[in-house]
Amino acid sequence: MTEAHPPGATVAPAPRAQRQTERVADNRRTARLRPETITAVCVFGISILLVLGSRFVSPALGSWDHVNTIILLASFLIVVAFGQGIVIMIGGLDLSVPALITLGGVLTTSWIDASSGMSLPLIPAILLICACIGGISGLGVTLLRIPPFIMTMATGIITASAALGLTSGTPRGAAPPILTALMKASWIGIPVILLFILAFAILGSVLQGRTSYGRRLTAIGANPVAAHVAGIAVRSSVLIAYMLSAAASGFAGMMLAGYANGATLRMGDDYLLPSIAAVVIGGSSILGGSGSFVATIGGAILLTALSTVISALGIPQGWRTVIEGSIILIALLLLRENTFAFLRRRLAR
Amino acid sequence: MPNWKRKLSLCAAALCTAAVSLSLTAPSASAQDKKFKIYLSMSYSGNSWQSEAANIVKALAATPPYDKTVELTQVISGTDPQAQIAAYESMIAAKADGIISFPISSTALNRVIHKGCEKGVKFFMYDATVTEPCAYNVSYITAGFGENSAQALVNALGGKGKIFLSRGVPGNSVDKRHTDGAMSVFKKYPGIQVVDEYYSFWDDRTTQQETAKALAAHPDVDGIWAQAGEYGAIQALMDKGSKLVPMTGENSNGFRLALANPDFQKRGLKGVSAGSPPASAGYAFKLMMEALTGKRDLKPGNIEYPLPWVPADQVKLCKGQTFEDGCNAFPEGVVPSSFVTEVFSPTLLPELSIQSALEGKPTPGATIQPLPADVPKAADEPGINCQKCEPPADQYKLTKVQPTVNP
Amino acid sequence: MSILATKAAATSHRLAPSMPARAKALLASGTGIIIVLYIILYGLYSIWDPTALTADTVLNLTNNAVPLAIAAAGQTLIVLSRGFDLSVAGVISLTNVIMAAYPLDGPLGAVESLAICLAIGGVVGLVNGFLVAVLRLQSIAATLATMIICQGLSLVILDAPGGTVADFISYDLTDVLFGVIPISGLFVAAVVVLWMICRRTAFGTGLYVVGADETAAHLSGINVKRVRILSFVIGGMLYGLAGFMLSAQTATGNPNAGASFLMLTFAAVALGGTSLSGGRGSVIASIIGAATLMLLQKVLFAGGVSSFYTGIFQGVVLVLAVVFGNVVTHFVERRGAT
Repeated sequence: MTEAHPPGATVAPAPRAQRQTERVADNRRTARLRPETITAVCVFGISILLVLGSRFVSPALGSWDHVNTIILLASFLIVVAFGQGIVIMIGGLDLSVPALITLGGVLTTSWIDASSGMSLPLIPAILLICACIGGISGLGVTLLRIPPFIMTMATGIITASAALGLTSGTPRGAAPPILTALMKASWIGIPVILLFILAFAILGSVLQGRTSYGRRLTAIGANPVAAHVAGIAVRSSVLIAYMLSAAASGFAGMMLAGYANGATLRMGDDYLLPSIAAVVIGGSSILGGSGSFVATIGGAILLTALSTVISALGIPQGWRTVIEGSIILIALLLLRENTFAFLRRRLAR
Repeated sequence: MPNWKRKLSLCAAALCTAAVSLSLTAPSASAQDKKFKIYLSMSYSGNSWQSEAANIVKALAATPPYDKTVELTQVISGTDPQAQIAAYESMIAAKADGIISFPISSTALNRVIHKGCEKGVKFFMYDATVTEPCAYNVSYITAGFGENSAQALVNALGGKGKIFLSRGVPGNSVDKRHTDGAMSVFKKYPGIQVVDEYYSFWDDRTTQQETAKALAAHPDVDGIWAQAGEYGAIQALMDKGSKLVPMTGENSNGFRLALANPDFQKRGLKGVSAGSPPASAGYAFKLMMEALTGKRDLKPGNIEYPLPWVPADQVKLCKGQTFEDGCNAFPEGVVPSSFVTEVFSPTLLPELSIQSALEGKPTPGATIQPLPADVPKAADEPGINCQKCEPPADQYKLTKVQPTVNP
Repeated sequence: MSILATKAAATSHRLAPSMPARAKALLASGTGIIIVLYIILYGLYSIWDPTALTADTVLNLTNNAVPLAIAAAGQTLIVLSRGFDLSVAGVISLTNVIMAAYPLDGPLGAVESLAICLAIGGVVGLVNGFLVAVLRLQSIAATLATMIICQGLSLVILDAPGGTVADFISYDLTDVLFGVIPISGLFVAAVVVLWMICRRTAFGTGLYVVGADETAAHLSGINVKRVRILSFVIGGMLYGLAGFMLSAQTATGNPNAGASFLMLTFAAVALGGTSLSGGRGSVIASIIGAATLMLLQKVLFAGGVSSFYTGIFQGVVLVLAVVFGNVVTHFVERRGAT
């Protein structure tokens, strides 16, 4: 009834290495479309179709205003999914996301007084605290070899309980003006949040795709042993990944505080599964080693657009939920790799 | 406590290091006089409402004379009914005298409650209810929040318009009772059109996001009927532009201040603040203690807490830390906007102050005052507070407001 | 190397090693460690709470843990073949509301209800298996969609908690046999026996090999698709059984009943030492992992931990449990190597 296994059997299995070599070979042939790019295009394509099609649900939908609402509501998910995506890239999973969103929001509203000018130095300080908690997860995963699932779940539970204890249940204060401006202000008619998400998308993609750190993450996710043999500092890279994820969640908490002008202790609860879903719908492998941030953003926007359209259907909640699940399933089937192979063959002709 | 140290050292041996340095709050009952062992079982904690209710109970348990006679332990079990069942079992095994609780499910806990009653444990449920007949339900649910607020909204809209329903948690009996009550009114008016109905999980931020989604599809909405989280709906309207619409909601301080704000009124906001009061937890606790100490002979059953009802023109700011002279909201900055204002009651809970609701501290100098002799009975409602029973014929009777427009 | 590891794992039981080696292997495996942990926690519990060893407490603990334990057993099958199954939450909600909305009384009714629950779980599992094995969707994404759909259907069937489960199921199945044996525990025992048989079949071996290395499994002639689909179907049926047992315990329907099982099943699986990247672990360890999670609440309560400290302790204990396991494994393997 027990499973004997020789020492060191915990290392990742071999086939990922194989897949990775295929993919690396694939990447070098830049003339060919990368699967990540096709996924990204398809996810955005489905989202646009959904938004255009939503006019049939309600005439007010499908407008520029609707798009703005989607971007605003998706912005939190995009920021969270950036961090979640990095952790998934290295073959981990971050379950502490909800707790860190809450921590970021609660610390912001309780420490930063709306009237004082201390918000600029305090925002990085709060992000650093969040990153340190992510660092604890990272240390547990790397040094103590605790499975990421258990480790991040534990840091999440501990952080959430500490936040509950610190606030005695009622977070005080309001959001600083700079965060309210980020979420609500406009600049020559363009919402600031749209510009911010664009900048964030560019920075995030560059970090994941164009820096040596990003390439290290891909290598570690594909095969940690091979990455180690190849001289990559696996431990510190993994540690930084968890810190980045925690800081991203903390920042999403700040954005939520700016949006709602206050913090609540359950403000992060709705982002755990969607953050994983956005990454996976964006084509990343849950086992690590592949994925692109742009496609993840597409996944986040698709999920948010879907929820705005579903919300406008005048049918009972149960059926709405059934339809939501079915559309996610259809989108997944459309995004299948075989569909891409078919497309690629078509394009190659 | 002879084995207290042994406990600690064993714990240290087994679990080692840091965990233990957080002091274990091992029961510290003094041997000389018997204390009442009371457990506060919360299903989840994390919104203002839940914490305020818990803080009120903690503050009352620390107010003389209960500070000497009550040993209160708080247990948070999360949103999992299984966990709350396990918590109740532990409390019964620990020979609790009374359990005061916010039940996560109206039905799933019945069996363990029944077992507890047989062992002489008193179960007092606040706000949410259970259908087990041996428990005491102290709640406003039967007081008609849904139908009264719906009628007030219909009155404000003149009997016609497009409205949103901002509901609570899908598949929840309280949400269903409120919505059924409201729909009983809306259905009478063919001019009232429910164009969107969404679930906001009784949370400000979720309400804001869900209302924003609904506004994308229906920017021309005329009114909003909301359960708790209503302040988020106002923020969503303001995010969209300057127009506000008549709306009804529950008791957040932000909503009450908004109702009383002349600028907002000019932009179209009017309505009523009503709904779930955290103070019912305090009332339940005091009732339980009077029953336990033999000051009151109370049979298990359904007890109604009065429905708070504050129309816009009756919002009155408090100057101090308590509800004095009939004031019912606090100035901005004193409490967060999500703070649920219905935490005091001059007749039922004169012992409390703002510090009680925010931090669970007793009011200096206060002592426990006896409750009025009369305990209002709540109507039976199947699935809410009884199992095999018939609802009264006038279940959705209006009590706070009368129709001013004809269908 | 990992192929070797699985081969070793797959054949170890046939080699029948000497007793000390076997004990050592047991101790180093997830199952051994979680059993030791459970005993330690129960020891603490019985020191702090004198009622811990009474039949009543054991019955309560068993009844509480059974739904999670069975659900975690099902999840283990999918995790072993390197997948995630989120549909566990949906299937439990769906079977729970069906049990409450359409109660069938008497022993025969119980059998019929059980068959319905197993069928629902099996069908959902078949859909999952088809999506994952044939259409090659990622398991976490495909099962997320089926979970949402099942949740929606539960809400359609029952839009608020209510209904009553048949008395025979809710009373007789949560009672004790001969005054000591919890009947619900027999269901878990049945799952364990089935697993021990299954473990020795081609499917059982295939599960580990597929989880460790799909390509190698394919090359060595294992029908990977069949193994995967079967793992989802059996897993689904176990969720159905978990929903059945949950209904017996709560005696009522709740369209959100399954939601809390999502994270807890994974926690139970991981606590039992099953690797979430597949190929290594045991159903039995997950069952004890689930029991440990439920016991932990009682231990913390008996230890006087209250309020928000409960969460902090839960987190710390989770981490310490795994560290403890790692240390023991390391130690035993060291000794074995020299």
